[in-house]
Amino acid sequence: MKALTNVNATSFAEAASAAQSARQQGQAVAFSAGGTDLLQQIKDGTDNADVIINLRTIGDGRSIGSDGAGIAIGGLVTLTELSQDPLVLSGLSALAQAADSVGTPQIRNVATLAGNVTQRPWCWYYRNGFNCFKAGGNECFSVNGENGQHAIFGGGPSYIVHPSDVAPALVAFDAVFQVTGPNGDREVSAEDFFVLPITNPERENSLTENELLTGVRIPTVSSSTVSTYHKIMDREAWTHAEVGVAAVIQRDGNQVQNAKVVLAGVAPIPWRVQAVEEFLAGQQIGEAVAREAGEIGLQGAQPLSNNAHKLPMISAAIERAILNLAAG
Amino acid sequence: MSEFTREGLEPLATLGNDTPRIDAIERVTGQAKYTRDWKLPGMLYARVLRSPHPHARIVSIDTSAAEALPGVRSVITYENAQVVWGAGSVNGGRQYNDPTKDATIHRRYIFNNPVRFVGDSIAAVAATDRHIAEEALTLIAVEYEQLPFVLEPEQALEEGAPQVYAEGNLCPDFRGEFAPMISNIGDVEAGFAEADQIFEERYETGFIHNAQMEPRCSLAHWQGDKLVLYTPSQGISNCRHDTARDLGLQDHQVQIISKYMGGGFGNKNQNQDADLIAATLSRRAGVPVMLEYSRREDWLGVHGRWPTVQYYRVGVKDDGEVTAMEMRAYSGMGPYRKNSGGISGMDAYGCPNRYREIHPVYTNRTTSGNFRAPSEPHGHYGVENMMDEVAYQIGMDPVEFTLMNMRRPTEQQQFTNYSLEEVIRNGAERFNWQARRRVTPGSDEGPIKRGAGFSFMMFRAGVGTSSAIVRVNANEEYTLYVGVTDIGPGAKTTMGMIAAEALEVPLSQVEVVWGDTDRCPYSVGESGSRTTIMTGIAVVEAAEDLKRQIADRGMPTGSDVLIASATPTPTTDGMTRQCFGAHFVEVEVDTRIGATRILKYTTVHESGRIINPSTARDQIRGATIQGIGQALHEDLLYDPQSGQPLTPGYYRARHLTHKDIPDIDVHFIEVDDGYGPFGAKTAGESGIILAPAAVANAVANAIGKRMTSLPITRDKILGAMA
Repeated sequence: MKALTNVNATSFAEAASAAQSARQQGQAVAFSAGGTDLLQQIKDGTDNADVIINLRTIGDGRSIGSDGAGIAIGGLVTLTELSQDPLVLSGLSALAQAADSVGTPQIRNVATLAGNVTQRPWCWYYRNGFNCFKAGGNECFSVNGENGQHAIFGGGPSYIVHPSDVAPALVAFDAVFQVTGPNGDREVSAEDFFVLPITNPERENSLTENELLTGVRIPTVSSSTVSTYHKIMDREAWTHAEVGVAAVIQRDGNQVQNAKVVLAGVAPIPWRVQAVEEFLAGQQIGEAVAREAGEIGLQGAQPLSNNAHKLPMISAAIERAILNLAAG
Repeated sequence: MSEFTREGLEPLATLGNDTPRIDAIERVTGQAKYTRDWKLPGMLYARVLRSPHPHARIVSIDTSAAEALPGVRSVITYENAQVVWGAGSVNGGRQYNDPTKDATIHRRYIFNNPVRFVGDSIAAVAATDRHIAEEALTLIAVEYEQLPFVLEPEQALEEGAPQVYAEGNLCPDFRGEFAPMISNIGDVEAGFAEADQIFEERYETGFIHNAQMEPRCSLAHWQGDKLVLYTPSQGISNCRHDTARDLGLQDHQVQIISKYMGGGFGNKNQNQDADLIAATLSRRAGVPVMLEYSRREDWLGVHGRWPTVQYYRVGVKDDGEVTAMEMRAYSGMGPYRKNSGGISGMDAYGCPNRYREIHPVYTNRTTSGNFRAPSEPHGHYGVENMMDEVAYQIGMDPVEFTLMNMRRPTEQQQFTNYSLEEVIRNGAERFNWQARRRVTPGSDEGPIKRGAGFSFMMFRAGVGTSSAIVRVNANEEYTLYVGVTDIGPGAKTTMGMIAAEALEVPLSQVEVVWGDTDRCPYSVGESGSRTTIMTGIAVVEAAEDLKRQIADRGMPTGSDVLIASATPTPTTDGMTRQCFGAHFVEVEVDTRIGATRILKYTTVHESGRIINPSTARDQIRGATIQGIGQALHEDLLYDPQSGQPLTPGYYRARHLTHKDIPDIDVHFIEVDDGYGPFGAKTAGESGIILAPAAVANAVANAIGKRMTSLPITRDKILGAMA
């Protein structure tokens, strides 16, 4: 393992400027919150950081609170905290469920909201050190290779799938992401935070160098809104979504007033299925509607040579997520 | 739940009682010293440089920068350390056989050029700490000429395939001849002529890593011309012999110390290259050297179960009688012949006409080798799915079809006892087979479908030679010396219990000395489910001798001791000795998402008399869990373009987590056939043999489609249902 410099940051602004000055000296920089994935990437050689900026020494960004406008969640909140917080559990079920579905208890106890949302892809080509787009190269090896777990939507030129469970829930709740950089703070909608490979094949989000995600704000959710996160996994723990669905539905009785449906595990970003959302508006939730929604969810799907099995899974996951939200 | 049926068995004082492991406290309190826990004065740490290419010739290697790095004490490469690793490649994949190893055509060295798989070792560094050793590896400049590679065994035998060796890709047999392994019983063509129907199918199985918790490590310490090797080994006596021969030493010049280890499952038989690399570095550096493999190195650099392709052809009469069975098969051995490549299962049938032809094939994948029941689980999966399909095709209950066609004792080949029919019937009743299986496979309405499958087996429980020493002092404290190591099944406890029973004293009066070739006599090794039987018999005989001495001379007094030893050569009087088992599984398959869930798992085993019920039960459970993983999850994917492995490690190979593991009911039917220590047979490998076959049969019964490829992942189920 190479020698590393550790910088303990005391604020997000300080972390951003420390990153900037290190980069100005030609060093590779990584922010570390939980560090559950980053340290392994450094050991594996898929992250070449010279300087780790440790965010665990920052006092801010660790709370979950509400004001008149909604719920604010600090970027350093752990996934365990997120999944057990009363505010999140009562109003943002999909987010709590998504956080609770990540990895293992050991990982969730240290992994953070911001780290989960910004983690690098788990494509096995990238993780095995192939010089792919994500590693700064100019090829996606999955196209002619083992692409069983790769993108059905939004792929090209890279076909990774976004690994976060939490991110689709945040998109479905219209979260606003708070970003700090050397030049100050900015806000960006969850949807605009993530970028497709056609825009930037090397990165998964719009954070520029030296910027970091410090927290999210979720607008007030009405009391008639219900939500769920439905995750299909290859085993019962410690794995990413084969297909995940975050569904947030505002309803009147069983009638949908407004729906947000966002998929995990099928696209390089959390994938909104707007056709499903539009279809659901005004419908009564029931088996036939849910089934049709699942079929509509496949519009625009472009499977690769070895991942068409995800298509029926997407349909089933959308259908089951919606049925989960039928009034009891 | 677990249950032990002991009808007609005399209860014993110690054996048959749930007994905590005698080293449980050491293990759970962190006092147990595993190989990596040892620290010797002046010890260096070593790391290995491995090939990034599936097949390449090394044009040049330059270690000067690595040697110049402060803290580096020794660098060895294929150029300056050509040590033959005998157990790493053997004609015919046979083990423990000096003449065969000497005659081996395709020898393997600790470092190889050309390199033949991603992970083939080419150099190693010893340095004052781990980080320096790792940094030094990055300073070794290697120029490769890449060569064409081949990954799939069938492709490797095609005309024009890349050649792993100049002689071709079919592995030489133990005589050094390039021929498949053939077994031909009766007249298979005559058998097919007799059949009313003939069925054919192709089955394939994947590479499964042993996935034991403790990766390979080895600490070598030369004391003059004697090598002391601290290493996790499933057989310290064989490890000593192999290491001595590889290094040009006599056995007594090597001491193997293997006290505690984090699992083996066949990954730690004999000696491994880590032992020889550590020994070579240590000799050059003049100080002890600790070599450690990372998880990834362990996964790719050591070995796992061989992937197979199996073509079956079965002839059957309308009444269900099987008249002919044929299998042509291919086993992917990687580029070195570490083991046989065997595919068992057909011999569990009594059909008089059987032809089996197995091609062990070199490829540029990682090496294949021993894994708990090396030849069985993939073979039983293939043949028992084939036969299950035949049964349903001709409208028979697979259990009745099995009872009609399974191997039974004959006049020519008698068994010490035969419980297979009882085991199967008992299991069918406990499981409620008739109610759970679908007479018409896939007949459940709706997308969530249930079904049941079963499998059966017999597995060798032969006796053989091992040694034991037992001593008593004036305080009536007994010390048992046995050359066993504890890879998980509790061998130390088992040996102590057998001694206590035979000596007619409580276990608390018996101390067990184990895991050290300078302290303990020869033991057969923790492979082939042999320790309990073979070393156990030696313990009984030594104990009987000591009891006779005590009877003749009285208990020793003062500082006197009495000592007895035994190296028996037991036989089974020309009979075959087998353990028996049957597994019954109910699954629920969600055919919309291709997910399989196990609802009920019932196992019935006859493993003779059970020595320690708690560890015997857990052996069956643990092995069954591994078998379920093989059936539903584990694989090692390779990128076809580059020949790079993609899914090494627990995360990517999708091993079962605790949340994935179903309840597994374990039932033992206990017997004493008069052979083995107090009638004990084998248990360690039995569970894994049956699980893949039973689970796959259950999936087929649920969905009405035969799953012909392991692992049965969701893409295969969804593909079959599409």
